[in-house]
Amino acid sequence: MSLNTLAQALVSGALLGCFYTLMALAFSMILGVTRALNLAHGDLIILGGYLGYWLWSGSGLHPLFLVPVAAAALLPLALVWHWLFHRLPEPRELSSLVLTFGLSLLLQNIMLALWRGEYRLIASESLTGSLSLGGLRLNQGRLIVAVAALLVVGGLFVGLTRTRWGRAIRATSLDRDAAALLGINVDEATRTTFILAFGLCGAAGVLFATLHYLYPAGGIELTLLAIVLTIWAGVGRLRSVLAAGILLGVIEALTLAWSGPRWRELVVALMLLGSLLARSGGLARGWSH
Amino acid sequence: MRRGAWIGIGLVAVMLLVLPPLTGFHPYYLYLVSTALLFGTVATSWNLLAYAGQISFGHAAFFGLGGYGAALASLAGSSPWLAILLGGAVGAVGAAGIGLASARLRGAYLALATLAYAEIWRGVAHNWTAVSGGGAGLIGIPPLPTLAWLPLDFTRGRAGGYYLSLAFLLLVIAVFWGILRSRLGLAFAAVREEEERAGLLGVHPLPWKILAFALSGFFSALAGGLYVHMVRVVEPDLIFSRYFSILPLVMATFGGLHTLLGPAAAALGLYLVSELLLHPYVPAFHQLPYALALIVVVLYLPGGLAGLFPSPRPSPPSPLSSPPVGERAG
Repeated sequence: MSLNTLAQALVSGALLGCFYTLMALAFSMILGVTRALNLAHGDLIILGGYLGYWLWSGSGLHPLFLVPVAAAALLPLALVWHWLFHRLPEPRELSSLVLTFGLSLLLQNIMLALWRGEYRLIASESLTGSLSLGGLRLNQGRLIVAVAALLVVGGLFVGLTRTRWGRAIRATSLDRDAAALLGINVDEATRTTFILAFGLCGAAGVLFATLHYLYPAGGIELTLLAIVLTIWAGVGRLRSVLAAGILLGVIEALTLAWSGPRWRELVVALMLLGSLLARSGGLARGWSH
Repeated sequence: MRRGAWIGIGLVAVMLLVLPPLTGFHPYYLYLVSTALLFGTVATSWNLLAYAGQISFGHAAFFGLGGYGAALASLAGSSPWLAILLGGAVGAVGAAGIGLASARLRGAYLALATLAYAEIWRGVAHNWTAVSGGGAGLIGIPPLPTLAWLPLDFTRGRAGGYYLSLAFLLLVIAVFWGILRSRLGLAFAAVREEEERAGLLGVHPLPWKILAFALSGFFSALAGGLYVHMVRVVEPDLIFSRYFSILPLVMATFGGLHTLLGPAAAALGLYLVSELLLHPYVPAFHQLPYALALIVVVLYLPGGLAGLFPSPRPSPPSPLSSPPVGERAG
């Protein structure tokens, strides 16, 4: 591998990593606030992508305009998930996995029915082409996606640290009972979390559809990536998620450069198993202490 | 178990035995019911593992390892009977392996590890082209041989696979029944309910956990090995499909966790409703019952269908509705 290929892989991986950060945040926020693992996470992103594709092919608008539209379109589902997760029996981690395994199957079936399993891509002309920067060629689409993802993540960061509802969410995530004792409306904070998280999923979906072909069963890989990132970064640490996302993007780009796309899924699954075994105390360890 | 239940099992078994001649050895219906019986086998072996407190999201790994093991052995010239048995052994080893590796993981994190494990084998099957045939898979797997000492109709075509899958289902039910009545069952229950305390009392959890994984993996892999001899191809996305992880979980929890017959009954019921009633009319939504069954079980019916019928003995609490061992101590 030449030095130029390496640099190319690093840069393009870092750009992809910004998208991964956005993609994983919704999973991590829901886990933090509700202690529930959402296995349908990736399927929701794919659903957002299909909605974006459908709107884009119908209207011809620039995909970036569709990001907020798809985010808003998933909001009804946020309320459904909130209603379901509210009723989960203990232990919540396990029962949420089982429940969302079923929801994931349901979403895949609905997408299969609506879009018939064909591969779709938002192939907007404004996203093709590449920029040249000091000998490196940057894929313009990836650059735009990375900037958009960083803007959303930055906005979320400001929201979570500087506003009342943001502080309520973070407090609920740290310690639900203590937050409730201090007069924080934890139910309100939980609902806000779901709405924000599903908005992030919809937004991530449209961006994903400009990078990758969509197909109804493609969500599981995104879910596994989100879990890996959450294990690496811990729950509720936005800056760590960004660092972990970029690291993951770089690893993926290096894998691609070194061995081609066939090994991608295998590497993701290996990273998940390895991370779980390395942190056998569970994801909760990061935030319960 | 009550006498009524035994009579019920006997009646269903006899009905299943005489079904092929009654349908005139109709290939499609035989294929359909044998697939349901194989799902019943995997669901019962899933339940056996859950009885030891281990919730798996990756039985597709064991099913698929059995499928590939049996296919490779058959293609190398072994008799299909031996090949299926070898596939079972491969699945048992594979299952024991993940059980050993994830010995320190509990509950949801074990479930995630098994989910990743199935995806890893799917990736390996995709990439290890020299052995697995890659994404295209392996073709030309021989059918099950006919048996000279039985009427030809009962062993050729789909009928042979049908009777073998019925035999596998009855076998795994019999083994689980034996476990429930033996010291092994007590050890499994001890590991499930109070892992730390069982360790203090001299029941070291790890060997029992690995044994539960190996048994569950063995029977799931037998089903996988038979399945590839029925469909006669093996592909990574077919045999390591997530459905072989999701459906056993749905069937076992919907039928009733830890019950002897619930998983098999739910497997037959759900699969046949899905394929016979829904697939012809609303093909896009034929998997809807599985998702709905899972949602109903988690939110409203922790004991599954079996929980609707009071049992003479108090049934053990469901791991989905009681805190798993270890999380309290952490």
